[in-house]
Amino acid sequence: MPRTCIPVRAPLTLALLLALPAAQADSGVGVDSWRGNKLDPSAGAASATTDARGMSWLRPDLRRSPGGHLYVCPAESPQMQPIGEWEYAGRVQLGYLITFGDDANGHWNRYVKWDSGLILGLLEIALRRPEDGSYADIRASRISDDDAFFQAAFGRAGSYKVEAFLRELPNVVSGDARSIWSGVGGNDLRLIGGLQPGRSSSAEVAAAAAAAPRRSLEVVRSKTGLGLDLYLTPQWSGYARLSEDRRRGARPFGGAFFYNFVFAQNAGVLETPRPVADSTINMNLGLRYAGSAWRLDFGYDGSFYRDRYTRFDFDNPFRIAPSQPGASAPPVERGQFATEPDNDYHNLRASLTRRLPLDGEFSLSAAAGRLRQDDDLIAPVNCQGLFGIDQDGSGQPGPANRFLYACADWNTPAALSRRSADLQIDTLLLDSRFTLQPLQRLHLRGGLRFNREDYRNTYLAYNPLTGDYGYIAENAAPGSILGGQTGIWNPFAARSILTRVRSIPLDQQEIAAHLGADWRLSERNSLGATYTFTRDEPSNRERRRIDDDSLKIAWSNRAWERLTLRASYTWLQRGGDAYDYRLYAPAYSSSLPGFVAPFGGLPAPVVEAMRKYDLSDRREHKVDLIASYALREDMTLSANLRGDFNNYAAQIGRQAYDTGGISLQWDWQPGPDTQAGAYFGYDRSRLVMANVNEEVFGPDPRLGGETFPDTARWWAYDKQRNRSAGANLVQRLGRVKLDAAWNLIDSRGITSFRFNSPLALAYFEDGAAALQGAFSPLRYRVDSLTLGFSLALTPRHSLRLFDYYERGRLQDWHYQGLQAGSVIDHRVYTDAGPQSYTANLIGLLLDIRL
Amino acid sequence: MPSAPHTSAARRASGLLSLIFLILAALPALAAQTREELARELPASDLSGGDAAQAGRRFLAAPGFATARVADNPLAPAAAPVGEKMCVSCHQLESEHFTHTLHALGLFAAAKADARIPVCETCHGPGSAHAQQPAAPGLILGFTRTSATPVAQQVKTCLSCHAGGARDHWAGSIHQRNELSCSDCHNPMAKFSGEGLLARRSINDTCAQCHNDVRQQFNRRSHMPLAEGQMSCVDCHNPHGSLTQPLLKTATVNETCYQCHAEKRGPFLFEHAPVRDSCLNCHTPHGSNQHALLSAPVPFLCQQCHSQLGHPNDLQTPASLAGGAHPDERLMGRACLTCHAQIHGSNAPSGPKFHE
Repeated sequence: MPRTCIPVRAPLTLALLLALPAAQADSGVGVDSWRGNKLDPSAGAASATTDARGMSWLRPDLRRSPGGHLYVCPAESPQMQPIGEWEYAGRVQLGYLITFGDDANGHWNRYVKWDSGLILGLLEIALRRPEDGSYADIRASRISDDDAFFQAAFGRAGSYKVEAFLRELPNVVSGDARSIWSGVGGNDLRLIGGLQPGRSSSAEVAAAAAAAPRRSLEVVRSKTGLGLDLYLTPQWSGYARLSEDRRRGARPFGGAFFYNFVFAQNAGVLETPRPVADSTINMNLGLRYAGSAWRLDFGYDGSFYRDRYTRFDFDNPFRIAPSQPGASAPPVERGQFATEPDNDYHNLRASLTRRLPLDGEFSLSAAAGRLRQDDDLIAPVNCQGLFGIDQDGSGQPGPANRFLYACADWNTPAALSRRSADLQIDTLLLDSRFTLQPLQRLHLRGGLRFNREDYRNTYLAYNPLTGDYGYIAENAAPGSILGGQTGIWNPFAARSILTRVRSIPLDQQEIAAHLGADWRLSERNSLGATYTFTRDEPSNRERRRIDDDSLKIAWSNRAWERLTLRASYTWLQRGGDAYDYRLYAPAYSSSLPGFVAPFGGLPAPVVEAMRKYDLSDRREHKVDLIASYALREDMTLSANLRGDFNNYAAQIGRQAYDTGGISLQWDWQPGPDTQAGAYFGYDRSRLVMANVNEEVFGPDPRLGGETFPDTARWWAYDKQRNRSAGANLVQRLGRVKLDAAWNLIDSRGITSFRFNSPLALAYFEDGAAALQGAFSPLRYRVDSLTLGFSLALTPRHSLRLFDYYERGRLQDWHYQGLQAGSVIDHRVYTDAGPQSYTANLIGLLLDIRL
Repeated sequence: MPSAPHTSAARRASGLLSLIFLILAALPALAAQTREELARELPASDLSGGDAAQAGRRFLAAPGFATARVADNPLAPAAAPVGEKMCVSCHQLESEHFTHTLHALGLFAAAKADARIPVCETCHGPGSAHAQQPAAPGLILGFTRTSATPVAQQVKTCLSCHAGGARDHWAGSIHQRNELSCSDCHNPMAKFSGEGLLARRSINDTCAQCHNDVRQQFNRRSHMPLAEGQMSCVDCHNPHGSLTQPLLKTATVNETCYQCHAEKRGPFLFEHAPVRDSCLNCHTPHGSNQHALLSAPVPFLCQQCHSQLGHPNDLQTPASLAGGAHPDERLMGRACLTCHAQIHGSNAPSGPKFHE
């Protein structure tokens, strides 16, 4: 996998650095709001020494926020050293890490990429010029090549700020992969181990896979950002941010060559490692006005995604043969994907807010956006020579050999109705809202929202070279096994083939309104109610109108001396117009003139009782409770309780989805030298769904009818349970500081099912014993323990020795059995799935105050 | 003329000397003068005094602080400003911590450039009444639990400088309705966090004060890298209010996701309708025990919507796993996604079923 280090950057990045002074987003625009790493997610704050004097000499205890949480003890003030008119303070943390145990495991390294070796734990330099409020800040950390950040900012408080950053973010997506292809990370995968494309047996592929070295698959995100925030006047301010987000690496993907589960020793299913090689330029520009009566906010967001590749090709190792005895087929040697298209995004927005009498505000916002792409389209197939079935053995396509096709008619963009995608979505958002306080105790609020997405252009799958409609399915594999299953329709040669011939534009429109009131029972005690109505009107979905009515009752109480309570209950009812399960017919060849329905009629596309859960009628009850209680002046207990219960009016589809949980957090800060905490969380979810198998390929769409009989109905239940717990302690004893932290997440999921009869099953014989069953539990349990010992060597130097131990127990039934072999018949699995691990990290950090 | 070094030690010494001078100068009058009268005689702000004040006027006040004035305190309508020096005479340690914040840097510099610009009283209001009765609640604008200052007044004080921008839709937002104060999340009195003058060490720690259950979800098997310090809640949410109910930073769920996952933006030649509708139809953004933040295990996730004739509507059993009686690609590994790999949309002319 190609690696990228911070010093090695694309010319574009360098150009950005030179051209413009983003890059830390504010809470209103953009991402990259934080830069830290697993060694110290707080980016330095956690390892700072607390001030033994506390926050105030007037009172020894710590204050609490209005919500009742203890403020933490501040860190020791930096000792600023003068340099002319400037003064500075700094800190550098250098160290060495050693990892051992299962330290190549994917989960251990997921977003951190620990490496043994020297590290820069933290570099922090602050420069200040008190005369005019100018400042400059540098912060950096480097754990490994793929896990590092550097940021620098300078400016003048209340005037301007220029900021730049570089960062590397690792993402190990598989820690145990074996590839039968070379060129991982590129877009042309070639078979290794002497395997011949389209001609290898399962045993040969299995041998090659077993001999392939184990490796990880990773995606590294490299980000560069520049930004400027500027006060033009006390009322007018502006910002400009520009960033580049580059990704390099590979991840497990796919590759379809028709059903191996139907055609044993035939077809093919490949989990290929696809390349990730792209770059996105993001731009945010804005101008804001904040006056005493008016506020204005104008903004532009642009984002420009560029993939290094338009296509991704890979060898198919397996021999694919016609099911028809005596027939032959040219080997299917290659497969292909179109990568995600280069796309441009523009969004212009404006917001105007006016203060109103009665302590009110009225706000009007408008935004118009465009998502556009015009990527070159890849050809329907990437074969050379011939594909399909050679029925007469002549090797010549033609009326007498109608299931054999010339690749030349399909492996060129000339076989497409147009050469590039030329697609666009235009968006429009209008939002208005108001707040008023007509009475001392009463607040009113309301709003209207209109949001629309319009698709421009559609695609017709038509080959001007042959006059065929449709496409070449699954890299021509189906058409090489079953005659005529290529995926193309022709009014003369294949007039009853049902295949997709058009894209479906998904225009949608949303109108929403809300009205609410808050009544203050006392100074710190209020009740609120909000009614919300939302109407979604999607085009080309099974429903043209979906209405949500919801009512939320909320209670916020801080009146008690020690207790803060915030509770809410929400009721939601979803309904809409009739559900049209045949909606997609116009996108299929059956809509073309000349289509002839097959004998017996067109089969039902889907059971009519199916209700997709994003469209189906639904009733929701949701409760939330957030509380904090001051057990003592130095101790807080916080609690969350939540429940969300959804019932869907669906005989087939999702029927229920309930989640609920409780979380408790205890914090204790008896003084600057001691800080302790503990937490516990428990939550669970339950999802119920139903489906029905078909008994015959018939036209009857009714549930309980001939095609979808009641005997073929089945139900699945997914129950997840998570337990979280942890404790931490930081204790200072003179020059020594001890810290310890323990964290646990213990998750368990059970997926079970029941069915009316074995007709519901993919394999009838599985139902011989019982009409129910379950998969092995899905387990995810990670314990981690940190023990640290810090010693202040001098007022400027300290040493920290720590040990971080982590043990993960992972079990996912999807990957059950794949350890024994990653090639099963004509299926290749590159990723062996999540692996359990035990790993340890020992670190020694020298902290120097500059 | 360069000013004296502005170290905290120097300031402490300067503050102490000033205090001694004040006490000595005022001693004869103190017996006859009330504390309020004394406070009224003090300048609004006199941080540096003397040479430093003269030197400071080399610069104009930065625009962000140029209009800073003593905050209104409705609970102490008769109070008058007393100046930072008076505040520091009691709150010296607070001042020392505050000195190292960007607020302090800007306010001190602005006060030097324009003597009308206060420091402590910009946020805490006029201090004379508080100086007279330090223990009486409400006479100074307070931002803590025990303060008598109403939350609405606390917020109004902060917004007097920070109105608009990211806080444009604070009014009516869920946090405003739940009576959160700025000081529930921010503590500008010291540098508790690397950035943002937060009340806790990081954005995530700050949000977890109330949303600890959400933070725990980020410990699940698949999660975005918040626990690893690579992201923060604010990458997706604007806690200061937005146009959406869950305080998303953009107008829709998908636009928020596209900020980092621009490759999913398309539009694609062949779209997957629920994907375009909302990423949350299949993903749980705060963490999942399934692969890739999925809300349910595949293939059951897909089978909630797909009941088409043929292979999508079959019920699979454990016997279809590797090592089972009849391994089936519809269940093993990535299940449906092994073949329908381009599930977010395909730009291939042969990709209407997301195979390519």
